[in-house]
Amino acid sequence: MSSRRSRQSTAGVSRISDDQIIELVSKLRQLLPEIRDRRSDKVSASKVLQETCNYIRSLHREVDDLSERLSQLLATIDTDSAEAAIIRSLIM
Amino acid sequence: MNHCVPDFEMEDDYSIPSSSSLTRPKRPSMPEDEIMELLWQNGQVVMQSQNQRSLKKSPPFKFHDAYQSASGEIRPSSSHQYHHHQQQQQQPVTDHLFMQEDEMASWLHYPLSDANFDQDFCTDLLYPSSAAPCVTSTAATSAPPPLGRVSQVSASASAVASASRPPIPPARRNDLESTRIQNFVHFSRHKTARAGQFGPLNSKSVVRESTVVDSSDTPAMAPESGASQAVPSNTEAASGRNNNNTCANMSTTAVTNTQSVGVSMGASKDNLATCEVTMISSPGGSSASASASASASASAEPATLKAVPAEDRKRKGREHDEAECQSEDAEFEFADTKKQTHGSTSTKRSRAAEVHNLSERRRRDRINEKMKALQQLIPRCNKSDKASMLDEAIEYLKSLQLQVQIMSMGCGMVPMMFPGVQQYMPTMGMGIGMGMGMDMGISRPMMPFPNVLAGSALPTPAGAAHLGPRFPMPAFHMPPPVPAPDPSRIQPNNQSDAMLNPLGTQNPNQPQVPNFADPYQHYIGLHQMQLPPPQSQAMAQPSSRKPSTSRGAENLENHPSGDTKRKR
Repeated sequence: MSSRRSRQSTAGVSRISDDQIIELVSKLRQLLPEIRDRRSDKVSASKVLQETCNYIRSLHREVDDLSERLSQLLATIDTDSAEAAIIRSLIM
Repeated sequence: MNHCVPDFEMEDDYSIPSSSSLTRPKRPSMPEDEIMELLWQNGQVVMQSQNQRSLKKSPPFKFHDAYQSASGEIRPSSSHQYHHHQQQQQQPVTDHLFMQEDEMASWLHYPLSDANFDQDFCTDLLYPSSAAPCVTSTAATSAPPPLGRVSQVSASASAVASASRPPIPPARRNDLESTRIQNFVHFSRHKTARAGQFGPLNSKSVVRESTVVDSSDTPAMAPESGASQAVPSNTEAASGRNNNNTCANMSTTAVTNTQSVGVSMGASKDNLATCEVTMISSPGGSSASASASASASASAEPATLKAVPAEDRKRKGREHDEAECQSEDAEFEFADTKKQTHGSTSTKRSRAAEVHNLSERRRRDRINEKMKALQQLIPRCNKSDKASMLDEAIEYLKSLQLQVQIMSMGCGMVPMMFPGVQQYMPTMGMGIGMGMGMDMGISRPMMPFPNVLAGSALPTPAGAAHLGPRFPMPAFHMPPPVPAPDPSRIQPNNQSDAMLNPLGTQNPNQPQVPNFADPYQHYIGLHQMQLPPPQSQAMAQPSSRKPSTSRGAENLENHPSGDTKRKR
């Protein structure tokens, strides 16, 4: 990535072109569970971006839920325990 | 139902209703007193007197009379059909009997030798509901030809057209052209309306047919070839519809040829478009190409009609020329709007390019707005170019996934940590470390393990809080590396500060507490981190040495690991 970045910086705007975008989009696609599982040869960039946004939002929600649960757990145990520390570390 | 062929011989009979609208009692010329009926029996028309029911062959001329008097719109059309029908049955047209020496006579003089002009066509017309399915193909073939021929006939009124269509008997309906054309147009319109099919498919098929018609060299051949060639396209759509369209097309062609442009204009839009195309092709003049392009553009089917105009232009020397005058006038207005003349390919290409550009632009716009949305989702994303923004998005997504993973794990683990955490921690740490597969130093978990004990012994909860994360982090094997590398190293991490504050001990200057909960901080820190921060404050209180060392080790390890991660 850094190499690519350096390439970007040195090269012209044209370098930041379809190839990179395609590469990044494919990387994103790898991360997206839905698209990765399905056939990923005809997924458009727009769809990948959309899925990424949705996925990030869902991850946010999940993080919030988990934080909620952890804080609840934290309330149940004594705050001096290591678990509390752990939980606190987990919670933002 | 009494499948009687209508008798157009006598005007009076027209009003006589029969079982079918098409059947009319036929009064033979000879036996005036008795009402003869043309019956369809055993595949041919026979004349029977209503009273006697005697079998007689109805002379073809009977139709002439009927036709002659036919002034209505439908009647002539049906008479056409019936005439054709009957002619099929009785080739010998004894037109002498009741030959009205008008076009009808000429009409009959040339029996429809066209094989296509079989009964199926009439059957289809007569019994559209029942016969349509069975006569699909045949009707398709036959329907267009008869009508086409009729139209051609009227068209042939013009010199060239008519001259070129000798084989077509009906081509001589010069006089009745106007009426017939109107009738025909009406018929075609009627049929089309009946079919109720004016979709693009029909237009396309019609266009194709018109093109086919154009391709034929001789006008005489045009309708036949067009009809025969139109069969495949006809069969695509409903036969009736195609027939209608084709007929309309042909009729319009004929109309234009015979200055019935108004009629053709009156036809449906599709027909009009197709007619225009047809007219263009038929005239075959240079104007044809212009009008072809014009009509093509006029019709809302650039894709389909693009080929047609091109083909039309290619066939400059088409059959008919009279239509040019009228059709051209109608089409020139359309033609002017587009580049016409000879650059058919250029026109097509330009249009295709425009369409392509538009679609491309729309696609890009969609992508851009999605990028913007993504940028808003990513915290602290100040990149403007797409590539780096996508890079950050990828990393953020990874960190988010990691965070969720750890948190869910922590949720599941915390209840289990009530008993000997110490014992579990290393085990869990190792297991988790292995499971996670993070390429963090596995040895590290062991190192801070003693710190766990020390951490738990910390008097201050803050200290414990500080240590807590640290200890389990190596145990978790994932979190420590993640947040450890001081995401806030260079970045004055407000977030880490915020996190540290609850913990209560962190020094704001160098918040070293790994922002475990915010793996993204880790990434950001990795991006900007350069030196291992002096991790002293968090571990300041107890066992500061060890944590710092461990942290230092972590930092050191996190550097490469972070880089590795980044590269990943």
